[in-house]
Amino acid sequence: MKRFLIRTGFVLHMSLLLSLLAIGPANAYIDPGSGSIIFQAVVGAGMAISITLKLYWRRIAKFFSRKP
Amino acid sequence: MTVQRAASSFRDPSGFIFERDGVLLRQVNHIYRAHYEQLMSSGLYDGLVRDHLMVSHQEVDDPGLQHTDGFRVLAPERVPFVSYPYEWCFSQLKEAALATLDIQARAVEHGMSLRDASAYNIQWVGGRPVLIDTLSFERLEEGAPWIAYRQFCQHFLAPLALMSNVDVRLAQLLRVHLDGIPLDLTAQLLPTRVRLRPSMQIHINAHAKSQQRHAAAQTKREDVKGRFSLRALQGLIDSLRGAVSGLEWEPGSHWLDYYEGDSYSDEGITAKERVVRGYLDELQPKVVWDLGSNTGRFSRIAAEVADVVVSFEADPAAVEANHRQIASSGSTAVLPLVMDLTNPSPGLGWANRERAALGERGPADVLLALALVHHLAIGNNVPLDRLAEDLSGLGDALVIEFVPKEDPKVQVLLGSREDIFGTYHEAGFEQAFERWFHIERRDRLTDSARTVYLMRRR
Repeated sequence: MKRFLIRTGFVLHMSLLLSLLAIGPANAYIDPGSGSIIFQAVVGAGMAISITLKLYWRRIAKFFSRKP
Repeated sequence: MTVQRAASSFRDPSGFIFERDGVLLRQVNHIYRAHYEQLMSSGLYDGLVRDHLMVSHQEVDDPGLQHTDGFRVLAPERVPFVSYPYEWCFSQLKEAALATLDIQARAVEHGMSLRDASAYNIQWVGGRPVLIDTLSFERLEEGAPWIAYRQFCQHFLAPLALMSNVDVRLAQLLRVHLDGIPLDLTAQLLPTRVRLRPSMQIHINAHAKSQQRHAAAQTKREDVKGRFSLRALQGLIDSLRGAVSGLEWEPGSHWLDYYEGDSYSDEGITAKERVVRGYLDELQPKVVWDLGSNTGRFSRIAAEVADVVVSFEADPAAVEANHRQIASSGSTAVLPLVMDLTNPSPGLGWANRERAALGERGPADVLLALALVHHLAIGNNVPLDRLAEDLSGLGDALVIEFVPKEDPKVQVLLGSREDIFGTYHEAGFEQAFERWFHIERRDRLTDSARTVYLMRRR
């Protein structure tokens, strides 16, 4: 399970990296507000998946660490 | 009745801070009413105040105070000393970042969200980081991104990443960039191996690229509403917490043996402590500024009598060590800050009045200036009469140590330069200071040629 989590995180990370490699140079005028909002919309699903997996993993780990 | 609006409180239409006859007050405007009522009724305010994450306030029953758009006036708890993130050591900034995320996580649980994640909204009370901006919360808009995400990354994550991975002195970039260190600049300064870590890749690098890519866009969060679930918001907070927690900085060891160095014998340092403690017992100050405090040994002695001891030191490693000792020593009255006294914090921001200069945040009841005079007079060429005049503007009483030329520490300073300090001797020192202060006591320290003085401002 842990390996699965790490692998999922890695795939998310790499896909994000690849999707952003093709960006041109910075404009002189920068309004960082819009970019931060759009960025969250892009990574939101990944963030939701990672916390969901983490919470499930904790629950499973807790179940198995329980003493009989 | 004198009413004065705080110079830093002008951006937010929800309200502002002002002083009336020396009492700190905050007006809440009608535009913010629904958010304020939810903060107070949801249990969020009570929980945050109970756990020392936010300053408390009293509602002032005085409608005559309010301007036309005013809804309520609050009297917030006053913080003992206002400090700024460019004066904090690594652990202070990290603790402030984690406190901000804790506050945001709790806000989300109560159906609210922080609309600001400014490091300037955090101040130190009793050794802990607390939120001072009661109007930072808004009702949670489900499905919308976190509006303060950019600010959190710029104010906290970027400086912490640079301090941890490049150089701790890069915290000073916050003095230039008052809205936090730009993410594209941070990405350029971080080494590639750090930039490729998932947390840095997402929150700094990809985030900066998205800012550049959409620089011309006019996207408001309503435009992407529904694309950022509550789970995503929780995931974002958790991811930022992981990113901040993973950043570490360990100070070098050069400060560790400072007091065990060649300045004092064991009897010498004990004698100096006894003298200083005696002076402070007599003065009974509420507010002490320890100038050039190193790791805060004498700040903690001052904290035995004073309510607030601000402990200034230029070396970030010494400030870090000082801060870490607060928890173990229990001296929560001590606030260690990074401050180069040869170039203290200036007035910054709009009209140079948003962030106060050091001198505007005083005067202290007592200044401690121990093992400091030679650094300023010989290391920085400040003439003794100028030094006396400038110190008299910072505090009402002064406990100061004169370190003569024959002292080994002064010999080190003079070793690489011509001795142009003809009046730098005990008589010259006393003459310069007597113009601005009454010298009330002087005690020669055991095992050295150093003298400690108690002076009061004329």
